[in-house]
Amino acid sequence: MSALGLLQAVGQPFAQPGHVTAQLTASDGMMWTGPVVWWWILAAFTVLGAVLTITRRNNIAAVMSLVATFFGIAAMYAMLQAQFLAALQVLVYAGAIMTLFVFVIMVLNRDEAEPWAWSGAGTKIIGVFALVYLITKVGYHLFAVAPLHPEAPPADFGTVAQMGEVLFTDYLFVFEAVSVLLIIAVVAAVVVARQRGAHADGEDAETDGQGTAPSSEGHHA
Amino acid sequence: MIPIHWFLELAAVLFVIGSLGVILRRNALIMLMGVELQLNAANLTLVSFARAHHDAHAQAFAFIVIAVAAAEAAVGLAIVVGIFRNRRSVNVDELTIMKH
Repeated sequence: MSALGLLQAVGQPFAQPGHVTAQLTASDGMMWTGPVVWWWILAAFTVLGAVLTITRRNNIAAVMSLVATFFGIAAMYAMLQAQFLAALQVLVYAGAIMTLFVFVIMVLNRDEAEPWAWSGAGTKIIGVFALVYLITKVGYHLFAVAPLHPEAPPADFGTVAQMGEVLFTDYLFVFEAVSVLLIIAVVAAVVVARQRGAHADGEDAETDGQGTAPSSEGHHA
Repeated sequence: MIPIHWFLELAAVLFVIGSLGVILRRNALIMLMGVELQLNAANLTLVSFARAHHDAHAQAFAFIVIAVAAAEAAVGLAIVVGIFRNRRSVNVDELTIMKH
């Protein structure tokens, strides 16, 4: 509960009713209020983590940067009055998925591979330019988004109670389907990642044969 | 207060960084991390619009996306481990056994 309380405290300044406009500019004297400063700090933190994630040669360093990004996104959720999702983000992403990545990296115990692939640089340059075009276009449209409800949402918005109500009424089937999906995924992960049955058995039989061969010979002798 | 499009643009920036990770890196693990970044960016967009519309249904959808992303990470990493067992490599450029 203390974690949720903290998240709510972080989100609290944003629950205050205020005059919101989408056209705040840098010259606006009211711009650098506390929440805005925090937003920029957290956004820089998030983006820095993301950039480090895809540029590190060391896999572990990349995962830790990814965790920083996850925490930054959790803070963004708290700012957006999604306290439940913020807690879930920390638990699932910064907890479970991070552990999974670290575990796999440790299991592979792999030397750092080459960081960038410039083979086929032509197609990649085209791809990057297409991506830049896409983001420019999307960003242009995003700038036109007007705040639909600038006023603060209801007090219970994004709380566990409200999320539970939505999940267990409107989305009950989806919720159950997700649980089935998770079970299938876990079973599939075990099946895919374990040694293949025949191969492993063969290896075991081989080692067993080598191990027992002298003793059986001894028996015969 | 913070305009909603800041959050949307942050999500777009994160999505692009994740895409660049998938496009430019050849390490399967880093590529999976790029996919996670993309999923997180999409989630941030969903939550932003949930806040803008005062509609919790988008948050429920983000919740489901988180669950599916967890399943995706589990299966994806299992596949990486399986491939590494067979090929001793996580470089996706060397994984050409399904070519022709």
